[in-house]
Amino acid sequence: MRTATLINPAKMDTVRSHFLFYLPCLLFIVLATSCSTHSKPEVSLVSDALLTNEDEQMLWQKSEQEQLAFESNGLIYPDQELEDYLNQMVAKLRPQSAPQDLVIRVKVIKNAYLNAFAYPNGMIYIHTGLLARMDNEDQLAAVLAHELAHCTQRHALRAFRKYKDQPAVLIAVQHTLLKTRGLQDMARFLGITGAMAAISGYARELEAEADRLGIELMTAAGYNPREALFLFDHMITEIKQEGLEEPFFFGSHPKVQQRAENLQKLLDPVYSNIKPAIKNREIFFSKLAQLFLDNARLDIRLGRFQAARRGVEKFVWIKPDDTRAYFLLGEIYRQRGQASDTHKALKNYNRAITLDPNYAAPHKAIGLIHYKKGHRALAKKFFESCLQLLPDAPDKAYIQGYLKQCALSEEG
Amino acid sequence: MKKFFWIILFLFAAGCVACTHTGGLSKPASYSFTIDIPEGWRKIDNNRYLFVTKESPFLQYIMVQNRPIGRSFRNTKKKIQKEMLPEEAAQIIIDELISDQNLVNLRILDNTPATIKNYEGFKILYTYSDSEGQTYKTLYYGFIKEDTFFNLRFTAEGRIYFQRDIGVFRSILNSFQIIKADAA
Repeated sequence: MRTATLINPAKMDTVRSHFLFYLPCLLFIVLATSCSTHSKPEVSLVSDALLTNEDEQMLWQKSEQEQLAFESNGLIYPDQELEDYLNQMVAKLRPQSAPQDLVIRVKVIKNAYLNAFAYPNGMIYIHTGLLARMDNEDQLAAVLAHELAHCTQRHALRAFRKYKDQPAVLIAVQHTLLKTRGLQDMARFLGITGAMAAISGYARELEAEADRLGIELMTAAGYNPREALFLFDHMITEIKQEGLEEPFFFGSHPKVQQRAENLQKLLDPVYSNIKPAIKNREIFFSKLAQLFLDNARLDIRLGRFQAARRGVEKFVWIKPDDTRAYFLLGEIYRQRGQASDTHKALKNYNRAITLDPNYAAPHKAIGLIHYKKGHRALAKKFFESCLQLLPDAPDKAYIQGYLKQCALSEEG
Repeated sequence: MKKFFWIILFLFAAGCVACTHTGGLSKPASYSFTIDIPEGWRKIDNNRYLFVTKESPFLQYIMVQNRPIGRSFRNTKKKIQKEMLPEEAAQIIIDELISDQNLVNLRILDNTPATIKNYEGFKILYTYSDSEGQTYKTLYYGFIKEDTFFNLRFTAEGRIYFQRDIGVFRSILNSFQIIKADAA
């Protein structure tokens, strides 16, 4: 084993001291993840003023470091108007009882996976993937209110205090980290506190508390809590249909199922007479229109064609004459390649060209379809028109190769 | 600490097997290709790929793989198919790379057709950083032969080692030969 040569011996003391910090943190994640199946002590309420204790200060400090690290990696979805909209919603949902000096902020992460999570210092992150699955403002309020409750109830601190003195079970930590590949990635990516919030979620009782308070907050703000159920049901269906295996809290079938069951139990006795209220479908769609399209591109990359199609169709609902949307629909069908998809792809590419004859991408795509079918003369026509419209196309070398083959076919 | 953590994970992922110094013609039993490994480079192989490094995988590595088409990738659900054009296969590799959360600030510098030992394929050049800010550069060749997707890639630290060791990769690429799996 040559691993020793990869570590600077001078850094070993620092490594050891970091290890002493990380080990309880890792244990904390693992135990918090698995706690729903083990007997456990009560998670005590915190009544101290904010940041008066060292452990909370440490958690906040760690959170800020982790946020800085991963935000500087270009992962934030850059849409200030959307961010303002989300922050206004959180302000509307925020309870009077929340600590005055707890500043709640929301940012969007450019990621197609279904997730939202909150850091102990009030920073809430929500993925484009989860936003793109929503149909109205009530559903958005449900997720934001749940995350908000984690912050105002100081769940991270309560979980940390509960598990920090548990006996070290190093083997359990290693086992969990090594068997859960997504956890390895994300623990590194988000840092320790972020990984716990994003991946494992909190202990069952804390999640249940966030569910209950979340419903109270959204109802108090005038939203319809039943929409939360529609969102979770929709997500459960999608997770099953698409066979999603995501490492995240909201992308994990048992956890979303648990959210839905909790909500059902809470809603039935108390909220059965709530009338549909805010919804704000038009405002919601207009604020998220670009996100629907951008996230559809991410879904196409992941090969989640059904989700991508739904995203583009939401965009089209707001902007019915946008050529990019029809090109993307064409891409979805061409890449999916099921029976009759070629016809659907061509129809959408042609619509894109009708809307903007100078848009080169659909010309290339139509050329590819004909090329693969052996219709070289037709393919040539579209490849040529693509290069005429965009002489320095990034895929010029491929197109020139196809044109060369088309010319050889003509000669043959 | 993070590096230490990743070294452990890397060794685990690589299977910690057969970490021996080798040179000359390599014919790993489970591979349907051969390459010449230069003196001083070490081979780590398992039944999924052949992995070669000189100093450390954090500085440079060459990976060669004969991947059955239709095998799932880690991130994208798309699969490489027999009838795909090289450009379509390249797009799936790019989709996989872009969807990989470990590759920060990924930039595709080049994606062009390439011929590898008379097979029509593609070449992708890209850079990325890891979570510690270390920048890497990768040159990735791929092509489809019947039911196998072959790929050869060279990844190295971007400032010094990529330029220093790209020649070794080219010599390995030149030595690359496809052989029938049962002859391996």
